[in-house]
Amino acid sequence: MEAAGIHPSVEAFALAAALLALASALAGWLRFPALPFYLAAGLLASPWLLPEALEPLPTLGLLMLLFSVGLEFGPDRLGELSKKASRAGMVDALALPLGALVGLGLGLGFREAVLLGGVVYISSSAVIAKLIVDLRRAAAPESEVVLGVLVFEDLLIALVLAFFGGHGGAEGIAASIFLVALYLLAARLLAPRLASLLESAGDEPVLLFGTAFTVGTALLFHALGASEGVGAFLSGVIAAGLGLRDRIERLFAPVRDLAAALFFLAVGAGALELLGGKPGLVIALVAFALLAKLPLDYLAGRVAGLSHRRSLLAAFYLVPRGEFNLVLGALALAGGAALVGQVAVLLVLVSVPLGAVLFRYGPEWTRR
Amino acid sequence: MRVEEAVLPGVGHKFTLYTAKGDRLVVVVHQTGHRELYFYRGEEDEPAAELELTDEEARELGAILAGVIYHPEATGEVSARVKELVLEWVKVEPGHPCARRRLEDWLGRAPGVHVLGVLREDQALYPNPPGDLVLEVGDTLIVAGSRTALDRFKKAGC
Repeated sequence: MEAAGIHPSVEAFALAAALLALASALAGWLRFPALPFYLAAGLLASPWLLPEALEPLPTLGLLMLLFSVGLEFGPDRLGELSKKASRAGMVDALALPLGALVGLGLGLGFREAVLLGGVVYISSSAVIAKLIVDLRRAAAPESEVVLGVLVFEDLLIALVLAFFGGHGGAEGIAASIFLVALYLLAARLLAPRLASLLESAGDEPVLLFGTAFTVGTALLFHALGASEGVGAFLSGVIAAGLGLRDRIERLFAPVRDLAAALFFLAVGAGALELLGGKPGLVIALVAFALLAKLPLDYLAGRVAGLSHRRSLLAAFYLVPRGEFNLVLGALALAGGAALVGQVAVLLVLVSVPLGAVLFRYGPEWTRR
Repeated sequence: MRVEEAVLPGVGHKFTLYTAKGDRLVVVVHQTGHRELYFYRGEEDEPAAELELTDEEARELGAILAGVIYHPEATGEVSARVKELVLEWVKVEPGHPCARRRLEDWLGRAPGVHVLGVLREDQALYPNPPGDLVLEVGDTLIVAGSRTALDRFKKAGC
């Protein structure tokens, strides 16, 4: 009998969940971080797994990731960082203009060049924080510097997205600045009342309101020509401002982990199709992005007072790229700069496994 | 003693404690509640020992380290006991029957109560006071025990 009434996406979801389960079991067995395996599983299954069939889950996964980056790495963290970490963040930030200059040199338009700069510059807070936790590096001195640097990166990229991330030209920029200001103002005015309201609310309403708020904000930003990524990031910043950081982190973690796993699977599944064309230049740019940041981040570590070895490890830790690179890449792709989009996808595909290997074995390799 | 605190965005909080002997103890409190402890001997770069604790285990360990609980007969339901355990500050008011009496006279009338320390005005905390300590008016006793034992303790005369 025909399985009437079951949406075809359920089939895709079942396949995806099974793949993820296998990938994470394999990763656990090999004592290796799971994210590269999710990407690889997506790549291998791409003939059978259409990323579109999984929608809206991968998109929600990305929004949730950006939300939790805003929650954890929002600008309010700046004040909590040590001076050392701030100095490191400034050295590391040189990668953004460097990447943009290369983009201009390649004849990209100004906006696309800045987006390329962002793709080169930004490391993945979500992936790196997860690796630090999973591989138990939280106590190490380099982790503190790396996480501080990530606060800088996320803030800077949120600004880049606010100015260049819109798809509505000058109107998009205006809308984006207006919306950000409006949200921050509203959050400031309503915060005390909202905070006490949410404090007395149960876990489930908080989870559901949080989800509705994040996705709704992203949609609103998109509808007005601004970047939905900024919307999701801003939602996280506002949630943190309400003093809900720990609670939301605890509530959202399982949902976000599942959605983010699906997101990375979908990135892997969609990668081959996107990477056709002229791979030579794409590969060269990916290599440039990886190589440009290593010495910069080593220097950032030294500036933060880390030893030679710890600075090397800090540079290793900052290799993985992820959520924001793909947001920037997708924007460039939509704007006609396929090259930047391809670089972003290949960079994520290469840097997550590479970063995981460097993370995992770096301390052994650098030990004398 | 020096304790440094650092925020680890996306991970939790890190505390570094420098002991008098020159060793370091790093405690990472994760958002999930679980704790990681690392012990670094002297200036060494690599931890000599590491330990991972659940939230519950960490609280129990914390209570033991702080001297809040100790049960020499360390068997049975430890966690249940911690949940039942109540900490209270009891002041020896003027006219209290136990003022100017020995601590053990009072404790003898209220079994199940531990006195963790005595706060005496203008003096440092007196930890784990001996039974023959003579209490004075104005002393504050830090006591731990079950709710019923503590109630009995507060009502008891000497």
